[in-house]
Amino acid sequence: MNHLTRSLFIIVSMWSLLTLSGLLFSHDVQATQENYAFASEQQRQDFKRLTKELRCPMCQNQNIADSDAMIAHDMRRKVYQLLSQGNDHDQVIDFMKQRYGDFVYYQPPVNNSTIWLWILPFSVLLIGGWILFKRRPEISHTDEQVEADLLAKADEMLEKDK
Amino acid sequence: MINTRFVVPLVAFTALVFFLYQGLFSDPRERESQALAKPMPTFSLPDLMEPSVIYTNDVFTDQVTLLNIWGVWCVTCAVELPYLTELSQQGVRFVGLYYDQDLDPDFGTKTLARVQQEVIETTNQLGNPFAFNIFDVYRDTSLDLGVTGAPETLLIDQQGVIRVHHIGDLNPRVWDSKFAPLYNELMAQQSLQFTPRQTEGQP
Repeated sequence: MNHLTRSLFIIVSMWSLLTLSGLLFSHDVQATQENYAFASEQQRQDFKRLTKELRCPMCQNQNIADSDAMIAHDMRRKVYQLLSQGNDHDQVIDFMKQRYGDFVYYQPPVNNSTIWLWILPFSVLLIGGWILFKRRPEISHTDEQVEADLLAKADEMLEKDK
Repeated sequence: MINTRFVVPLVAFTALVFFLYQGLFSDPRERESQALAKPMPTFSLPDLMEPSVIYTNDVFTDQVTLLNIWGVWCVTCAVELPYLTELSQQGVRFVGLYYDQDLDPDFGTKTLARVQQEVIETTNQLGNPFAFNIFDVYRDTSLDLGVTGAPETLLIDQQGVIRVHHIGDLNPRVWDSKFAPLYNELMAQQSLQFTPRQTEGQP
């Protein structure tokens, strides 16, 4: 038990350290970005949210806020332009999707090929639960039986050795 | 009972192996272009060498065109230029969509004259397949086309509709497999429709 809590503590502390350093690092990246003058605080928030939610199509897994690729620069400029023209969050997402496909948005749409992303985890959970539910009483029953048998056997052996 | 105990994990394992095996041959960078089968987005952009000349979508009507997105800063573009020149000498019409990396529209430091100079130097050295170069100053048209970098090549038909979108360099293998069949078909249609203009595009 003591061992378990200790390893748990180590895992949790390492995880929080990683998250913290991740936060610090991403702040660093944000600091090197271009300067855009926003008309309102709302627009600034929208820009921050959008650049986090849009995926850079050139890089394998970076959002356009973190990426330094030219295409990410251009997309950030486009997001800024579109927001300044009065488009809202969904309109900007649609604009980008029309050009770069569903790939560009970190939230995949639910369709025939992506429905498995939602079905699979739950089905694995259900099947696992079902197996556990079915097995548990059986196992404990046989365990008792086996234990009793072993005890009897051991007693027998002890008896013989006497 | 014993049977399912072995069969279920076996089936699950086989399915997993099959799934992962397929993954070995898939390209994570490959994704369907959104520009395909759509008309060329509307644009109005200057000529790279003669900024007073403005091109619009009209440059693609009634002709089969290969639109090559490139820049002198792009290494792979330099690799494909000689082959593109070879194709253009065979009568393929190439139009360049030029964009510059260093010429930041907002904080630009590079002058247009220097960009032109670099382009002339490069094409003199490696060949010039282009009928003309459209200068995508703000890279807006590239973004509308879903371009992620250079080089990329689009095949645009007589109606100005994008039929092929190729990312990466254009080499003989890519030309034969991805472009040539459709290109020849389109050219055959064109010569049927516009018999007098059959020889147009020849150097």
